[in-house]
Amino acid sequence: MTPIQWLLILVAAAIVVVYFNRLRTRLLDRFIFFVLAVVAIALVLQPEWANDVAHFLGVGRGADLLVYVGFSGLAFLWLGLYSRQRELDRRLTEIARKLALLEAEKGKRAKK
Amino acid sequence: MSRQPSNSAIYVVVAAYNEGRVIRATLRPLVALGYSVVVADDGSRDNTWRQLADLGVHRLRHPFNLGQGAALQSAVSYALQQGAAYIAHFDADGQHSLEDLPGLLAPVMAGRADVALGSRFLRKEDWQAVPFSRRVLLKGAVVVNWLLTGLWLTDAHNGARAMTRKAAQRIVLRENGFAHATEILQQIRVHRLRYVERPTRIRYTEYSRLKGQRFWHAFDVFVDLMIRRIFR
Repeated sequence: MTPIQWLLILVAAAIVVVYFNRLRTRLLDRFIFFVLAVVAIALVLQPEWANDVAHFLGVGRGADLLVYVGFSGLAFLWLGLYSRQRELDRRLTEIARKLALLEAEKGKRAKK
Repeated sequence: MSRQPSNSAIYVVVAAYNEGRVIRATLRPLVALGYSVVVADDGSRDNTWRQLADLGVHRLRHPFNLGQGAALQSAVSYALQQGAAYIAHFDADGQHSLEDLPGLLAPVMAGRADVALGSRFLRKEDWQAVPFSRRVLLKGAVVVNWLLTGLWLTDAHNGARAMTRKAAQRIVLRENGFAHATEILQQIRVHRLRYVERPTRIRYTEYSRLKGQRFWHAFDVFVDLMIRRIFR
């Protein structure tokens, strides 16, 4: 194995450990993540598999294929995070508004 | 005027963010005329909140800054809670003139419209007071509003409005930033509210120019509106 393979496998393993320890605990998420990690490590060890898939799909090199797939994946991730962000903003606004209404001070009218 | 509800049933709602310097001058005459005034302090970091204490206005405060649309909605929610019969939107920076308020309220109180929208392009003397670059920008926004809402108005992003209680209950702002102006139009369309445009004068003071939306804000608003299309 080349040094870069060691490095990439180490990074993949570290991400899996952190993810399983710190982040989501939903079983489905863990499963998907685990499969992705296995695929990643397999491709690091056997780069020609990526080439085979790329050729099959009509892409020249496996690395190119990974760039395309990775980019699409990131775009989806960004969209997902963004819509979550908006949802959080909405909830935050709701809470802030409730608080503001609860603590609102009635204007003292000088005379009626 | 005896058959009309008194001015206290008319709630003038104001969103204020760091307007401590001018807020009293803006609000005092409104209070003097007997309007019920609600100010939503949108998490100001200046003395806005304290300036409101002895004015006889209703005041509420966001714990942190959320945006003009959010503040406006909070003020409207409060006014509705208090039993407002009519609601008028008014900018905090003193750029609207008080004399235009009755004109905005008249068609709404007479039942001829559910919403009256202020426009600075209906009277010659009003639009002549608008700096040229603002005219171009606002007319561009008119086209954008038309594309997004189907409403062709003469003005865009004019903060002076009046509406019935019913209309205020229907128009619920979810757009926290400046895009709420277009959102109001969208909801007028969706709820099939009857609307009219009424002339308003905008005072372009040094202060309002500094505080006012700058050119690049227009782009922000446009992006907000586009995103809204995607994320409902």
